[in-house]
Amino acid sequence: MKRAARTSACATFLLLSLLGLAGSTLAQTTNDPLLRAMRDELSRSRGLKVLSLEAPYFIEYTVEDGESFEVSASLGGLISVRHDRFRIPEIKVRVGDYKFDNTDYVGSGSHFGTHYDIERFPVENSYEVMRRFLWLATDSAYKSAVEAISRKRAALKNVAINNPLDDFAKAEPLKKILEVRHAPLDEDAWSGRVRALSAIFDAYPAVKASGVELRALQTANYYLNSEGAEVRVPDNMIYLLARAEAQAPDGMMLHDAVVFQTLDFDRMPAEPELRRGIAALAGSMADRAGAPKGEDYSGPVLFEGIAGAQLFAEVLGANLALARRPVMEPGRNNSVPMSELEGRQGARILPEWFDVVDDPTQKEWRGRPLFGSYEVDREGVAPGPLSLVEKGVLKTFLLTRQPEQGFAGSNGRARLPGSFGANGAGISNLFVRATGTLPVADLKKQLIEMCRQRNKPYGMIVRRMDFPSSASVQEIRRLLSNSEQAGGRPVSAPVLVYKVYPDGREELVRGLRFRGLNARSLKDILAAGDDNNVFEFLNNQAPLALIGGANYVAESCAIAPSVLIDDVDLHPVDEELPKLPIVPAPDLRAEASHP
Amino acid sequence: MSEELSRNFSTLKAKADPAPYFLSYEVTEEDFHGVAATLGAITRNGHGKSRRLDVCLRVGSPKLDNYHRVRGERTQFTSGAALTFEDRPASIKQRLWLETDRAYRLAAERLIKIRTNSEVKVAEQDASSDFSSEAPVVRLETVPKARFAADEWAERVRKLSGRFSDYPGILTSSVSVSYQDETKYFASSEGSRLRHGRGFARVVVSAQAKAMDGTDLATGETFEATDPGNLPRDEIIVAAVERVAQDLKALLAAPEASPFAGPAIFSGRAAGVFFHEIFGHRVEGHRQKDEEEGQTFTKSVGGKVLPDFLSVVFDPTRKKAGDIELNGSYAYDDEGVAARPVTVVENGVLKAFLMSRSPIQGFDHSNGHGRRQPGLEVVSRQSNLFVESSQAVPEARLREMLVSEIKRQNKPYGLYFRDITGGFTTTGRQGLQAFKVIPIMVYKVSPDGQPDELIRGVDIVGTPLASFAKILATSDRPQVFNGYCGAESGNVPVSAVSPALLVSEIEIEKKNKSQDRPPLLPFPTGGR
Repeated sequence: MKRAARTSACATFLLLSLLGLAGSTLAQTTNDPLLRAMRDELSRSRGLKVLSLEAPYFIEYTVEDGESFEVSASLGGLISVRHDRFRIPEIKVRVGDYKFDNTDYVGSGSHFGTHYDIERFPVENSYEVMRRFLWLATDSAYKSAVEAISRKRAALKNVAINNPLDDFAKAEPLKKILEVRHAPLDEDAWSGRVRALSAIFDAYPAVKASGVELRALQTANYYLNSEGAEVRVPDNMIYLLARAEAQAPDGMMLHDAVVFQTLDFDRMPAEPELRRGIAALAGSMADRAGAPKGEDYSGPVLFEGIAGAQLFAEVLGANLALARRPVMEPGRNNSVPMSELEGRQGARILPEWFDVVDDPTQKEWRGRPLFGSYEVDREGVAPGPLSLVEKGVLKTFLLTRQPEQGFAGSNGRARLPGSFGANGAGISNLFVRATGTLPVADLKKQLIEMCRQRNKPYGMIVRRMDFPSSASVQEIRRLLSNSEQAGGRPVSAPVLVYKVYPDGREELVRGLRFRGLNARSLKDILAAGDDNNVFEFLNNQAPLALIGGANYVAESCAIAPSVLIDDVDLHPVDEELPKLPIVPAPDLRAEASHP
Repeated sequence: MSEELSRNFSTLKAKADPAPYFLSYEVTEEDFHGVAATLGAITRNGHGKSRRLDVCLRVGSPKLDNYHRVRGERTQFTSGAALTFEDRPASIKQRLWLETDRAYRLAAERLIKIRTNSEVKVAEQDASSDFSSEAPVVRLETVPKARFAADEWAERVRKLSGRFSDYPGILTSSVSVSYQDETKYFASSEGSRLRHGRGFARVVVSAQAKAMDGTDLATGETFEATDPGNLPRDEIIVAAVERVAQDLKALLAAPEASPFAGPAIFSGRAAGVFFHEIFGHRVEGHRQKDEEEGQTFTKSVGGKVLPDFLSVVFDPTRKKAGDIELNGSYAYDDEGVAARPVTVVENGVLKAFLMSRSPIQGFDHSNGHGRRQPGLEVVSRQSNLFVESSQAVPEARLREMLVSEIKRQNKPYGLYFRDITGGFTTTGRQGLQAFKVIPIMVYKVSPDGQPDELIRGVDIVGTPLASFAKILATSDRPQVFNGYCGAESGNVPVSAVSPALLVSEIEIEKKNKSQDRPPLLPFPTGGR
């Protein structure tokens, strides 16, 4: 979990066993001035109270202490290089009690009144200055909490709540102080690499605009609360994104991206692999720009390879988190997107030959590091493996400390900031396992066979979806308003989608979107492949986990087979298309040869 | 840049309908450094480099083009797109091409709308053109790049900010230093080719506190220079830290003022801000032809707008006032027009407005005041404002004059405004044609020789025309205020240089204040 907005130049965290530094752990714990400042001020803050108003019953301090390095380039020229050393504190204060507090109200989490003009949290270890900062931030959070609870009480004078749930679940206070070590990242080498990778697009005139960016973050996450939890865990990530845009002859804008990411800096793919991936992106942009526009289709669709894992990450993953409707004044609109699976625990949501387990404790799988692993969630809860679906039946949800109907406590899945004072739940490493699978080639045969039986001229294969989305904000807005009209969550568009004719021939098409694809569609899975595709991504709160759409991200992963689903609708985009530019693109290859 | 400019311009001119008649590219390159500390601990230490591109593309004709002002509309064609800061032609050319295409689409669309609009609406009062003709300029200057000693500054701000530790009543404080050197590249289809720029170094000392009644209080001082090497020595900044802290301490103890109208003196710095806010914004040329604007002075050219003894000059070519470097100096504006001094008011008579290339009735040409922050459209903006007086008296004499004015008006006291942080002025017609400026250090001056008494919690309010008529005299010692001014075209660096002013009447009202108490727990100590 980390901020993606900041970036870094940094260093590598080395496992302490490798260096034989076991002895330094304890020393660092007791000497860590940030930890001491947090502990001392938290303890003093319990005494907060205004006259007749209630005292806080729960206080939590989070500080992300880290360094980031960010570099971006386009066509061989650096656009920005930024190194940032940061400490980002987050202070939460709850007043009332576990049953009823200041959260879960439409105004919870907003700042009322007092705002101290605090400079950034010091990045140097000055105990006094850090305490001072925490003191003022706690004061401000407490005053907001007191204001929120009184507004919530007032709102409740006019609305009746059926089945009141508690506002906060108790959790065992966790003590986990891990060693955090920074090692330098070769910033110049990475700048050079990003510059060189961005120049790959020089050779693809069909790509209208492109860019490559790198973010490397090294963070220590501190978490302390008034129940006694004390946590310090390292959290590192390196992320390289290449994005490209092209325009088809009819004016349709096409976009796509490729991402390389890992928690362990040393395991980032080497330059040749990065080059291959980016060249493949550039090539496929050119292919799509030249491809015909797809037509309406309704029938079986094969989600092959990574698209299968993307489908589960997006359609199943997002719906495994529940959202509560906050207390609000009568007549206000609730815009919280609800889970399509709400209330369906105990019901079948997948064919009975499917099991789904979310496991953040697993760090590697078949020799490959897993991107969704983490030690402690945003609420100081250590997660364990969680069996979500057994034999197709939904057993439980991804839960935070905000109680949900039928579930009382957290299972350590608070991975993102949430709404109204709560946190949002998210997947870690989502393992989707099927029995009775077929070789992937046979799935294609089955698809063709079904089309033949139903007299369809062709079937469809999706090989990649636009998830997390590389769309522009305007496009996402259109997508959202369309899906609102259709009454459901938006689903990302297929990027690589092919017609498959009875003779096995494939034809790439462009400009299609799903219609009505949702969590219920997963019940219609006909067959699964014997492959296991690992799909890693940065999850965030934005629709379709839009790349750069929110500044807090959670590293996530889905491991799933290819799947064949019946009755999927695809519909061509029917928006007005922009005209082609009047001035042709400059000749970049001529330029690149003599810089 | 030149190649892509002529390629895009000639192709669009040949093939596009409506065709463009003007295209310019402005690239602003910035090298930025910043270090900040609070109470001896660094909070920020960073540097960066960027280039931003602003495209100006005009379709139609200079008489009527896509920039035509339509009441109530804010036009925006440029986007300030990020450009590579390396000299890599492929990357630069692609971005120029994409941004030109984007600007062209918006420009063509708006021109069609404007043509329709002008058919259905009544004729506008000011029928002047949308774009003035100016001779192209070719000049490639070498922009000096100063060195920023980040490590030394880190050590200095650490020490300097630590001085605030002696003042436990201050809730938050900081000392920061920043330096950016700015190089602007400009190319237009008329043949202008420019490279020019300067540095901006700045030290900011600031402190904030909360009075027992909830009022938020803040004090601060800044120092500006073009080269960080010319920023003041530590002793001078230390003195500023002490002043900022002492002022805040005094404000915490000061009584809250009551609404009052009476005679007052503005210190030179306060007078500079006062003039910038209530006068300067009203002589910005584009406001004279926007029918949503109050147009305070539109028809006043040749008429008396200030007392006879006052003149106001805007001069971006002056780099210093005394030994203080001016923030509002530049060589060319953002439309590639050379900076020049403009006498706006001569002996009380309005002579001119600040002009960009958007002409107004009676003023067909730019006078080099078309400015913007990258990413926004150019409008006419202020530069270095100079208030000049022929009725100047020594400061001590000015004070005596205040005392006799207090007595003459039979008021219990007068006011002395030492520092003003800034203000607001409504120039739009829908709002009141009034201003509010925010003084920080205000003193009651007693007529019977008692020491001045600091007060807090007031704003100055008034209407511009009435206020100018009440200026009685000035001191003979100009002071400099360096700062940044925000308006439609973003933040631009400006200065105001003025002697102290004596006014026969000024009105103050109570400031809107926070209802919140100061922190509930005392400031943390011990446990180290």
